[in-house]
Amino acid sequence: MATRGGQARLIYCGLSVGGLAAGFPFAWMLLASFMSRGESLRRVLLPERVQWDNYIEAWQEADFGLYFENSLIIAVLQVSGTLLFSLMAAYPLARMQFRGRDVVFTGVLATLMIPEAVTIVPNFLVVTWLHRNTPFAWLNSWPALTIPFMASAFSIFLLRQFMRGLPNELWDAARIEGAGHVRFLFQIAVPLCRAPLLTVGMFTFIGSWNALAWPLLVTNTPDWRPIAVGLQQFASEAGTEIHLQMAGAVIATAPVLLAYFLIQREFTEGISISGLKG
Amino acid sequence: MSTRSREQQLAWGLLAPALVVLGAFGLFPIGYALYVSLHRWRIKKEAVVGFDHYVRALGDPHYLLPFVAGVGLVWAAYRLRAALATGSSERSLRPLYVRIVWGAVALLGLWVGLAQGLSGLVETGDPALYNGFKVTFFYAVGTIPFQLSLATGLAYLLFKITRARGAFRTLFFLPYITPIIASAVVFRTIFSPHPSSLANRFWSVWGLENQRWLYESKSVVALLLQGAGFASYPAWVDSIFPSLALTSIILYNIWVYVGYDTVILLAGLSAIPKQYYEAAEMDGAGEWQVFRHITLPLVSPTLFFLSMVAVIGTFKAFNHVYILRTPGARDSVDVLSIAIFDQVFEYHNAGYASAMAFVLFIAILALTLLQNRLLGRRVFYGD
Repeated sequence: MATRGGQARLIYCGLSVGGLAAGFPFAWMLLASFMSRGESLRRVLLPERVQWDNYIEAWQEADFGLYFENSLIIAVLQVSGTLLFSLMAAYPLARMQFRGRDVVFTGVLATLMIPEAVTIVPNFLVVTWLHRNTPFAWLNSWPALTIPFMASAFSIFLLRQFMRGLPNELWDAARIEGAGHVRFLFQIAVPLCRAPLLTVGMFTFIGSWNALAWPLLVTNTPDWRPIAVGLQQFASEAGTEIHLQMAGAVIATAPVLLAYFLIQREFTEGISISGLKG
Repeated sequence: MSTRSREQQLAWGLLAPALVVLGAFGLFPIGYALYVSLHRWRIKKEAVVGFDHYVRALGDPHYLLPFVAGVGLVWAAYRLRAALATGSSERSLRPLYVRIVWGAVALLGLWVGLAQGLSGLVETGDPALYNGFKVTFFYAVGTIPFQLSLATGLAYLLFKITRARGAFRTLFFLPYITPIIASAVVFRTIFSPHPSSLANRFWSVWGLENQRWLYESKSVVALLLQGAGFASYPAWVDSIFPSLALTSIILYNIWVYVGYDTVILLAGLSAIPKQYYEAAEMDGAGEWQVFRHITLPLVSPTLFFLSMVAVIGTFKAFNHVYILRTPGARDSVDVLSIAIFDQVFEYHNAGYASAMAFVLFIAILALTLLQNRLLGRRVFYGD
């Protein structure tokens, strides 16, 4: 669409105001993380000398090494589990005929409406029961932190929407070659589902990185506590040490930002599917 | 025949792992929460208490009847209006007395439901639950309209440019992907009561007094009145408006989600066929007319989807509030999820917490159905 010069300037002005509002807290987080304690308390704009030591100090003081490692292990397990299970569930919902398909799909979507506040108590009781009655430990270990989240309605929905759009000719061709559903799914559909798979992976990653209430409930030692719990505790203990808090916040943000920049193109493509009808 | 049944088996086999997990940790908890809520339940099951927890939470069941009757009457009035709207195509044809009847039924329903039912329930029920409902309501109303209009505006602007579109989109999206805990820690220092905090700095630029932000349990309107020189104000001013602490959390919430909504709306805008715009231009439609009569209706399914997600999201909200709540804000920021969480963590009362959680679940369910009915028919899906 053609826009005149003055109008275009106005548009960029509006967008810049929005961009400033979105980016400003980040800028401040980064700047403050390099300040001395006094500078961060006085809220100066720029640090006089860049204090790299803040990161080392925060890392050691809050035991971020342990929390970081925990969060990474939890994230890897949860992301791979969710990707595999959602892919397997989305395929029949999108491309196979079987009795009860619509009921299953509605049931899956219904779980989106259930708040964590409702499930948290029963799930804690279930996990406690499993902890006592199965041979391996659930509480204070990775199963309680990851297995309950290994299937998500949103992931299944997104992948199903995408797989429904795959051309039927592909399936016909695969069948002539003698491939069944399973081979079609893993050899042909999966490579084509790059964008939605990366999107689902990213969302799961963010979700696992954000988890706070559940890990607090199912762990009572730092051994398996994730970074959100670590940063929350550090922030409430280091009340006035804003420069260290900000360094901690940067540390906690870095892996997610890195992942986002790596898969940005596929991610924006993937989340666009979620808002469209189909 | 055998290949068909093999295909059935394969389908269920592929679905099995996800269904087991979703069933065990997604659907089963609802039934189990109901079961737990009917018992005294601390660390493990104790005595059966029936509906006692619900009475304690919701209030004297005698008030339930007028409340339900009131809701029923309002619903009947709504149905009546809908029936009239389809019955006669021209508004002027509707006789006056029908409209009076319609209004009377609606008013009667409101009066019975609110004055007779709800006020009694609130008086006899758990203050934490009703406060939770109120705060959740403020939270939703303070967030969703602003978030969606801002996102619509930004998406529309983004849609009109080609240069730097990707850069802006990335920038807008950053708040959404940042770990909540990290951005909340940042916002806690921005909205700190300290005189040199960024919020107070910004405030003082306009010559305004320092505020306590996240630590302020007084309502924004009360603070405005105080700022305008009124030394005292009636107590209800604090109870019917959101506190400054809650408003700060709302601002944070808007900041987090605007970018996500913008990116999805941008995808919706890009899907609108170009011919519509060309036709409008040929007819000489102005910028605003095009936006109002073409863009908005065609993007309404996306807006509807986002508003559904946002309503469910604000009712589920936990992390954002949990990290930003302060002792100073008292219960003025305690949304329902927080009140439930307190029952679990502070009082270890799983039975009562489950009853509250079940009430929250029913509220979300009712709200989603209502929204689907009221807004769903305004959505334009094209043909």
